[in-house]
Amino acid sequence: MCRIISFLKIFPVVLLACIFTSCADSDDAVVLRVCNWEEYIDEGGWEDDEAIELSDGRVIKGDDAIYREFERWYYDTYNIKVKVKYSCFGTNEDIYNQLTIGDTFDLICPSDYLIMKLMKEKKLEPYSDDFFDEENENNYYIKGVSPYIKNVFEKNETDGEPWSRYAAGYMWGTSGIVFNTDNVKLEDARHWDILNDRDYYRRVTIKDNVRDSYFAALAMNKSKLLLSPEFRNAGDYEERLAGEMNDTDAQVVDEVCNILKDIKDNSYSFETDSAKADMAAGKVDISYQWSGDAVYTMEVAAENDVELNYIVPDECGNLWFDGWVMLKDGIAGDAAKKHAAQAFVNYLSRPDNAIRNMYYIGYTSAIAGGSDNAIFDYANQCYEAEGDDTIDYDISYFFEDGDTDRKYVITADSGSEYRELGARYPDPDTIRRCAVMTNFDDEAYKRINKMWINVRCFNIKDIF
Amino acid sequence: MKKYFSRRYLGIPYMVFLILFVIVPVLVILYYALTNGEGQFTLSNLFGFFSSGYAIGTLVYSIFIASVVTLVCLLLAYPAAYILAKGRIRKSNVLLLLFITPMWINFTLRITALKEVLTAIEGNISYYPFLNTIIGMTYDFLPFMILPLYTTISKLDDTLSEAAQDLGAGSAKVFLKVTLPLSVPGIISGIMMVFLPAMTNYVILDMLYNSTFIMGSLIGSYFAAYDWHNGSMISIILLFIILLVNIVTGSFTDDGAGRRRAVL
Repeated sequence: MCRIISFLKIFPVVLLACIFTSCADSDDAVVLRVCNWEEYIDEGGWEDDEAIELSDGRVIKGDDAIYREFERWYYDTYNIKVKVKYSCFGTNEDIYNQLTIGDTFDLICPSDYLIMKLMKEKKLEPYSDDFFDEENENNYYIKGVSPYIKNVFEKNETDGEPWSRYAAGYMWGTSGIVFNTDNVKLEDARHWDILNDRDYYRRVTIKDNVRDSYFAALAMNKSKLLLSPEFRNAGDYEERLAGEMNDTDAQVVDEVCNILKDIKDNSYSFETDSAKADMAAGKVDISYQWSGDAVYTMEVAAENDVELNYIVPDECGNLWFDGWVMLKDGIAGDAAKKHAAQAFVNYLSRPDNAIRNMYYIGYTSAIAGGSDNAIFDYANQCYEAEGDDTIDYDISYFFEDGDTDRKYVITADSGSEYRELGARYPDPDTIRRCAVMTNFDDEAYKRINKMWINVRCFNIKDIF
Repeated sequence: MKKYFSRRYLGIPYMVFLILFVIVPVLVILYYALTNGEGQFTLSNLFGFFSSGYAIGTLVYSIFIASVVTLVCLLLAYPAAYILAKGRIRKSNVLLLLFITPMWINFTLRITALKEVLTAIEGNISYYPFLNTIIGMTYDFLPFMILPLYTTISKLDDTLSEAAQDLGAGSAKVFLKVTLPLSVPGIISGIMMVFLPAMTNYVILDMLYNSTFIMGSLIGSYFAAYDWHNGSMISIILLFIILLVNIVTGSFTDDGAGRRRAVL
């Protein structure tokens, strides 16, 4: 008992000491709580031979984790100490549930539809005006963001406000089909119904989440319309495409349900991660993938002498992006915190850091570099032709910088449009047929989730 | 001072743990299960479960999978445990260790390895998702069946079966009338340790590409759709089913003990 009493006496002292030390910690440093996808930032520790040398002689090498280097950079630049508390989440639903439970973060990096949901729920802190000041040399984001991404963020609105006010693009890409060139015909892979093609019975994988699976099946359902020349050539093609690919009408959902049941029967698995290894090992021939994973899968497979290609089917593709948003709850009106959060986004957007992240993650940064040629130079270096049979791959839409008439063309090996280059930077035709999948409202979400359970569950009524 | 210290105090850490990590979460789940999105009390989640063919179907499918796995485990484990406990094998402890060591390796690793073995045998493992699930779960849960059986059988009093033999029973009869009834407590705890996790362990299903949901995955899909209320209700229903299984099997164990007393 004595011991317990003495422990009870000590306990508050220990507790107080803890509180004081943590106070002391936050007194002289701004604490920035950042939550990002797992493995979605360069953690440093590169070997010497991994260093990337650009054509202008600059050498890029990841020594320390970017968020640690940011702390030093911020102190050097603004003479303010900042402490980044970095943590990770696994899925958009996880981070949303975490926020609902009451976890607070200052800066998070959710996907497009969750950004819309958070905007709708008024949980986001807008970026301040000086974040968009192109004159400020430290505003790497606004100076470097690709005009294409910038346009998407400005054009799309939620509740009458453009996304660009609340979100800064980080990584982006498309979704499409990765296929084994030995066993699958390119012509077959041009259409989403390859997922349901009995010629490839049980050699197809599909994504284990409602949204991606719904998108693919929806494209199959509307294939005729999406491919018709009248629809293709309509003046408002892009708006109409976005409308069709966000259709959650009850009857459409029912039709999609039947398609997905067929796909389930035809598929090897519903997966989130395992298809990368299964493709590389040759266990499956067709896989529904996000472009960044496709790059990784193709690279790994090449080491096993398995040749894979990536293609966004002719009907349409899903354009997705992850963006940095500040949370109202976390920032809580603290100007110093907001400044640090915006500086963090800018630091990530500095061309050398964007390259580091792209190298490490395998996804495509939303940053084009603006007047800095580093990022195009890096892409050119990676994908420049080695053989004689070449194509001119024009990705000016992504890189063009203001008024200059410069064309951004990579002379690549022919076939590169179906390889890593095409997955990293889709060509303008592909981009044109890509639509963003918006956030569904509650009613539609319930309907679609019900449909998903319907697809995945065993119905007792099937027996009787 | 010494008399104030009671051994009961040693239980305090566990009590704190129990309250914080078992009781409180269950209460939270209960709250979500019995409310709707607006926070009002409702029983619609409960009725929703029992009126949905898919939810009931999933329950039946889960119970079916778990029953098959339990049965296969029992059929494999009983002879093994019997031989280990009663057979005249030298160093049977080493043999037992061989059965138990797989438990020391993380189960996802083991299933990943199993996947490769199955691929080598079957070619394309997606042709046999159900069979693979049964094999995977049996592989994973077998030690949990062997261990309690081994403990029970090795504690059996040999004089009882000797007495039965003296009274003229053949070895089959001795087994059926003496050994088997006396090992019922081991069988029951083995079943408990295999059946319940087999009903909810959807990781093995996922890893072996069985794309039909069981209870665990159904709950997960509700939480992924931000629907905590229905997800919680299914968890509570599952909790009750498990409780029910516990009570039923618990009465069997008593029965076994009673019968043992009668035999003695």
